[in-house]
Amino acid sequence: MTSSTSDNLPTIERLHSAVPGFDQILGGGLFRTGVYIIQGLPGCGKTILANQICYGHVAEGGSAIYVTLLAESHSRMIQHLSTLSFFDVKAFPDRLAYISAFHDLETEGLKGLMSVLRREMRARKVGVLVLDGLVAASEGATDLDLKKFIHELQSIAVLQDCTVLLLTSGNIHRMAAEHTMVDGLVELEDKLFEARSERSIQVRKFRGAGPLRGKHSMRIDNDGITVFPRIESLYCIAAGDITTSETAVTSGIPSLDALLAIKGVPASSATVVIGSTGTGKTTLGLHFLHASTPEEPGLHLGFFEGRDRLRSKARSMSMALEPLEASGAVELMWQSPGEATVDEIAERLLAAVSRRGVRRLVIDGLSGFLESTVYPERIARFFSCLVNELRNRGVTVLMTLETRDVVSSVISMPWGVSGLVDNLFFLRFVHDEGHVERLLTIIKMRDSDYQAGLRRLRIDSQGMHIAGTYRADGDIIPSAQPVSSPEGPAPSPSK
Amino acid sequence: MKTILVVDDELGSAEVLSLILEEEGYKAYCAVNGRQALVQARDVVPDLVIVDYMMPLMNGLELSRELRADPKFVDTRIVLNSGLPEAAIREEFDGYDAFLRKPFKVEALLELVERFIGR
Repeated sequence: MTSSTSDNLPTIERLHSAVPGFDQILGGGLFRTGVYIIQGLPGCGKTILANQICYGHVAEGGSAIYVTLLAESHSRMIQHLSTLSFFDVKAFPDRLAYISAFHDLETEGLKGLMSVLRREMRARKVGVLVLDGLVAASEGATDLDLKKFIHELQSIAVLQDCTVLLLTSGNIHRMAAEHTMVDGLVELEDKLFEARSERSIQVRKFRGAGPLRGKHSMRIDNDGITVFPRIESLYCIAAGDITTSETAVTSGIPSLDALLAIKGVPASSATVVIGSTGTGKTTLGLHFLHASTPEEPGLHLGFFEGRDRLRSKARSMSMALEPLEASGAVELMWQSPGEATVDEIAERLLAAVSRRGVRRLVIDGLSGFLESTVYPERIARFFSCLVNELRNRGVTVLMTLETRDVVSSVISMPWGVSGLVDNLFFLRFVHDEGHVERLLTIIKMRDSDYQAGLRRLRIDSQGMHIAGTYRADGDIIPSAQPVSSPEGPAPSPSK
Repeated sequence: MKTILVVDDELGSAEVLSLILEEEGYKAYCAVNGRQALVQARDVVPDLVIVDYMMPLMNGLELSRELRADPKFVDTRIVLNSGLPEAAIREEFDGYDAFLRKPFKVEALLELVERFIGR
């Protein structure tokens, strides 16, 4: 249970939970022999979390016991759990058992309950014990009785090398006597945001280490629970601490590169292409993606246009993606906006970047992230941390962002985008002598020079290219689909 | 009157089952673990034992083994039940007379009881 050398104080080992992301928010996992409360209203995932920890421990060769008081019947619980991928019928009964101790609690009180727990811990030599129904145990008991019960449980847990999880649906906003005694308090929540609900997990107390603070999103599916630590709590590199490169990365459009002093955007930089709908943001992103090679792989994360539509669009501009996908140079990821949390999307994105050593990344439709969060006030900081982490991993990022109506030369920059962007390209329409023209303006290039001014943009069967300087004074056409900022109207569902 | 011992650590389930069996004309006893059941069984020598698999102190298999090893219970029929599939349990012990997967319908149990010990 502990390890030590002659010179050092013993350190308590951690219990690996087999719940993806859970150990990460605890800074390495629960401490073995600790007594922890897992608290939350019915339906928020306490039973699944505790069972997943039990099965994970059993899978590593340990043994566990799940003790119920007044809770779901064992047969029902087994029926429900048997649909989850971690369920293992071979664990019964030697390495995992479900028993009820309610009779002992009812007839002999906390003393009777303690007697069962002590006996089962010793007899089965369990490494994890779950007591489901702390509310039932505490009914009728005084605060002192409950504190004594937990104190005794802590002593036995250490002696038996057993980690104890106490499950309770008690009031999560009330400081109860038992909270002061335990080694940690983990709170689960399933909160409704209008029609959408979002599960979260928060480590409210954790003795002996600093957990990742705040609420983290959580998903329950056939694999049980997955925790997605808040990106801001994981990655907080300041942009100034990231080494910038003087190496140029082609935009994929030679005539655009020609306007940039280093003939491309700086490697590991972040570029935002901003413009109203139809101005060519996705096309510019496709050019950037199409310049990927197996040595410098590219990744496209899209929220609005599906993979097939994207392939078809690229093909129509002589940029077939299929051969690049086949060679491993390109991967297309699609994410339905609003179906996953921003942290889940970010984790998928970072995992895909690491898996293939991605060097070029296109995020088509930053507003997709906004539609995926129930906390819009987070979004500026979230983007900043995510983009800085990507840059830190050597990824050159190109993101598209749909603007609100563009009725003047003033560009609206939602969600603090200016704080995360190194390079900014602005696309827009003008109405000129009976023709609609696309224009590109390079607004900003960090640490490198560029040719300013308005450039005509053409999109044809060969894709996008710069077609000279624009000098006329045409009317700027407002965008058809305004895009919101957190303070503005609801986001558009389509690009 | 035929006697039946119902053994389940989820006492609520055991009590409900006992009441149903009493209504059907049997004398029913309850126990919350194998050890308590063994004491009761030695006292009343039941005609049939309905026993849950996972219980504290002494589980259903351990109780069944004890009963099978004691000549006093040679005529006692054992119905084992669990939320787990039978295959997982049969590997450990097959000395029971019937297995019921929880949750089961009471008619299925009563049919077994009547088949084994009549009314």
